[in-house]
Amino acid sequence: MSPIGRARWTRVKRALAALGTIAVLYGIAAEIGRDRLPRRIWLGVHYVEGVELLPPYRSLAEETEFLVQSGILASSIAVSTGRVLIGFLLGSAVGIFLGLATGRAARVEYLAEPWVTFFRFTPALALLPLYVVWFGYGEMSKVLLIATNVAVVTLLGAHQGVRSAPRVYLDAAAALGASRKLVFGKVVLPLAFPEIFASARIALGLAWVTIVVAELIDAKMPSLGYLLALANAYPRVPTMVIGIATIGALVLAFDTLALFLHTRATHWMRRTG
Amino acid sequence: MKSVTRQRSFLGLVSLATMLVVYTLVSNATRFVDSATLPNSVATVLRPEVIPPTQAIARAFTELVAGGPKDSASEGHVHTPGHVHSSDHVEALHQQGVTLPASLAISAGRVLFGLAVGAPLGILIGLLMGWSRRADDYLHPIYVLLRSVPPLALITYLMLWLGHGEAHRLIPVVYAVAATVVIPAYHGIRDVTSTYVVAARSLGARGGLLLRKVLLPAASPALFAGLRYALAIAWITTVGAEMLMAENGMGNLLVGGGMWASRLQTRSDPAVIMVGIVAVAAAGWAMDTAARILTVRFTRWVR
Repeated sequence: MSPIGRARWTRVKRALAALGTIAVLYGIAAEIGRDRLPRRIWLGVHYVEGVELLPPYRSLAEETEFLVQSGILASSIAVSTGRVLIGFLLGSAVGIFLGLATGRAARVEYLAEPWVTFFRFTPALALLPLYVVWFGYGEMSKVLLIATNVAVVTLLGAHQGVRSAPRVYLDAAAALGASRKLVFGKVVLPLAFPEIFASARIALGLAWVTIVVAELIDAKMPSLGYLLALANAYPRVPTMVIGIATIGALVLAFDTLALFLHTRATHWMRRTG
Repeated sequence: MKSVTRQRSFLGLVSLATMLVVYTLVSNATRFVDSATLPNSVATVLRPEVIPPTQAIARAFTELVAGGPKDSASEGHVHTPGHVHSSDHVEALHQQGVTLPASLAISAGRVLFGLAVGAPLGILIGLLMGWSRRADDYLHPIYVLLRSVPPLALITYLMLWLGHGEAHRLIPVVYAVAATVVIPAYHGIRDVTSTYVVAARSLGARGGLLLRKVLLPAASPALFAGLRYALAIAWITTVGAEMLMAENGMGNLLVGGGMWASRLQTRSDPAVIMVGIVAVAAAGWAMDTAARILTVRFTRWVR
């Protein structure tokens, strides 16, 4: 095995060891805690019975089986993923366009600056009640909330990306007779691309954070946010754990996909190795 | 250079003023135009309950800052078209003794607590992972798993363990901040130009000295950038957690209080929400400006 291959193998082994240890420790803790942890919990206004603070693997497996066989999990994933994707596409289209505009023309930037600053520090969740009033309890508010969140992050990324183009490159291209349009298309955009992608990746993570709360408005099955909210209301810890784990897995999957695309798309940047 | 700065602030002000004037005109449009003549789709939007007039927002602001009901004013109030009375939202907040400055102070306190506890924790983990290949191999997969969990999703589970109190609102903030600063700290340490490290090593620096004199200063721009990013995340998480379950803070003000289960069922007054959003944005901006000044001061050597 080559040294690089061996190093990679060591990493995989260590990762598996770490995750395996956590999984085993959790299993042991759950088994020990099964009889010792309180099952009756005071929740501020009333007692709740039959709480499994650390659900053993058995309950988790049963719950997963139920959620999968009833089709709840699959349809929830489909609906929530759909919302995240639509909101993400909408928001990133608007955000990247505006970011490119503010990055390109100083005047546009100065005009947009106060608003960008304002939205940057507005937690998107704070917009939720306002969106409910404006766009009603429905699909629109959720998607637009995600889109707003995504737009702000990608706007900043696209802006930074355009601005990070070294002056020398622009001057060199201009000296060779390239028009502004050509410079923008052939020099600025490719240089801005990694930054735009990085911001889109952050925005995708934020979109998933937003959906957990956004789906509390007009809460209906199937959706992951409401599944979690229902589990919280009972409270049913195995469902909660599976809900959180599902969202976590989706975030991870999307992030991995984005990272993969990022590596592919910015392949031209690598000059070593 | 000076003229650029002037043009910048001038255009910024123009943009703000234009928006303000346009908004005031649009939100008061029903006063000049008979809403019956407008197409239905426009008329339903041009209502003070949907787009609160600027003066209603200003009023909500003064009422929320002052706190406490102004009985004489609200009782003898005459309903004029296009004019919103002191809304249920404001009244509900007054009954709970909620004021804007107090809510803002509470939320800011939670944000600062999250930063004070979460940032050192996250930076330590990031430094450890960036410093030692072995620690990175073992910890990174666990970190990736944890990072994928939205902090707000944890609130109820934490509440089961810790009871209904302050802890389950603060822990998500701490967690969000820590998870955010790990990555800049990690990359800050790992991506220190290897020439610096090799040079320092060949001069005999190792361990603590290398960390203190070479790695940490070299990583500090990344650390500060991470902190500024974490600040925004901390505000988002704090307000979100407060919207979901807290009897105080800006999130509570935005949703108008009430039981946690029915939090988002109540129709809120958009004027109050706008006041709340502007207040949160202003506080976030002020904190970020402070962080930026600190960054410049501590990383002066970079230029």
